[in-house]
Parts: sequence; C-alpha cells; structure tokens
Amino acid sequence: MPTDTPIAEPSSDAVADATPAPRTTDLILAFLSGGLLTFMILLNGRLALSGGPVFASWTAHGTGTVAAILFLLVLRTRKPAAAAPGPDTPRLPAPLWAYAGGLVGAVTVMLSSITVNTALALSGTLALGLAGQVAFSVLADRFGLFGLPRRIPDRRDAAAVVLIVAGSLLIIFSGGV
Amino acid sequence: MVVFVLLAVSAGICVGLSRQVNGRLALSGSPMQASFWNHIVGFGALTLVGLIVGGLLPPAEADIPVWAWFGGPIGVVFVASGSWLIARIGAANTALLVIAGQMVTGVVLDMITGAPGNLLPRVAGVVLILCGMALTNRRPGQKRP
Repeated sequence: MPTDTPIAEPSSDAVADATPAPRTTDLILAFLSGGLLTFMILLNGRLALSGGPVFASWTAHGTGTVAAILFLLVLRTRKPAAAAPGPDTPRLPAPLWAYAGGLVGAVTVMLSSITVNTALALSGTLALGLAGQVAFSVLADRFGLFGLPRRIPDRRDAAAVVLIVAGSLLIIFSGGV
Repeated sequence: MVVFVLLAVSAGICVGLSRQVNGRLALSGSPMQASFWNHIVGFGALTLVGLIVGGLLPPAEADIPVWAWFGGPIGVVFVASGSWLIARIGAANTALLVIAGQMVTGVVLDMITGAPGNLLPRVAGVVLILCGMALTNRRPGQKRP
C-alpha cells in the first residue's frame, strides 16, 4: 500500500506532498528561535515604553531592514533564477502576494496593541493569539495553503498540539511571560 | 468584548499568515531575502500608519537604552529562521516549537529575575510543553500516515 499518495490537485506551485519526519536539529532550531522572540519582545517592549507601539514597531522594522541588508551583503546570497522560468527551474518566481508578509505583520502589531488595552489584557491577548496561530497553522499544513507543502497531521501531532497549547495556557494564566 | 476576542484571535492568525507568506517568498529566493522584504514592506506600511495616526517619534525627553534598539535585528533573524523552518518542518510544528521556546525562556527569565507569582503552575506548564515536544520528535525515517 503506497504511503505518500498525493491527494487531489496539488496547488500550482506546491513543492511536494511528501511529509518526512522533522529532523531533531530543525526542531531544536525552532525552539531556540522562540527564545529569540522572547528577547525581541523584551527589547521592542522597552522601545514602546518610551515612545508607544507605533514608534516601537516602526523603529524595529527600520533597524531590521538595515540589519537584513547587512546580513545579505555578508551572506552574498545567490540571485534567484528569476529569468527563464520553466518546469525544470528549481526556484519558482514568487507571486506578488508573497511580498505582503510585512503588511500582515504591521496589522498584527496594531491588532495586539488594541487588545492588550482592553479587559483581555496581556494574558487574554496572548492566549487567544496562540489559539488563532495554532488553528491557522494546522489548517495551512492540512491544505498546503499559500504554496507551501501539504502535511496531514496524525494522532501524535494532535497530542503534541494539545500538550504544548495546554502548557502554554497554564504559563500565560499563572502570570508568566 | 466579542469584537476584541475576534481581534485577538485575528492577531494570532496574522502571525501564522505572515510566516506562511514569508515562507513562500523564501522558496523563490532565500530566507534572509524574505526577511528583508518583510521588514521593508512593514516599515513602509508603518510609516504611513504613523503619518496618519501619529506616534512615529518618541517624546523628546525619552531616555532609551542602547540595547533596546536591537529588537529589529533580532526580529530579522527570527523571521528568516521561521521562513526557512516552515518549509522543512511545517507550519504547525514551527508555530508550536516557537511558542514552546518563547514560553520556556519566559519562565526561565522570570525565575532568574525573581518575578512575583506562583512558580508551580509555570513549571507544570514547561513540563507539559517538553512532553509535547518529545512527541513531535519522531525517529528519523518514521513514516507518517
């Protein structure tokens, strides 16, 4: 019995439907990047304390843009194969909407700076945001949204979701983070 | 109140959505290029927002420590790593492990700085998170259904 049967139509620029087990090193990197996020929020929160949320987010995006240019110069990344796209081109040209991630990020800042100042406070904002993020990610995997690979969750994945979400909610509502 | 609940949930959806979109952009270039576009587009959008609603500049007497300006560069590394990871381990795994890392470092920082509050439920939360991560970490080559 075939194991990784592609189901229905793959979206036009989906890369692959195969879902191998994630590598442990990748999982550790993801966990460490969550630690980076804690420090980023701490630093940007200090900016917001002095100048408000718009100043903090605007400044972080500005200094971030400069840092990204420096990183790109140091890394000397290869140019994507934008010319001559074809069935054999390894790198597909990006659709225009793929450049809109920053717009979505700017909206995120506005939404959460509104809700932290309501009865939801920080814990409610974090908990509901976590729920929204996890629900979206599971759906995005399930259907391979926005041209990324499809991944069908199994019972083990579902159990991991429950444990991590439950642990996070426990921390959020006991005043941590 | 219902409106604010929806707004807070939408903020979380936006976090996932922007990672998904940046992950797609990284497929056509590199994760750092995706992070660059994310930041410059966000910077443009926030400039507009600031010009319309104000609040772009801090009060003149604001005293901002030097370290506070490094949130942006950290964010660049964060967005690049998310854009790289999402195609490799999937959106849900990326979201869950980033949340796990955020929660655990938050609790550790609280313990180091001696933040007030009950420690027991937070440690229990960390244990639950670590159990979930252990489940996510399958043996290499283990087939998924």
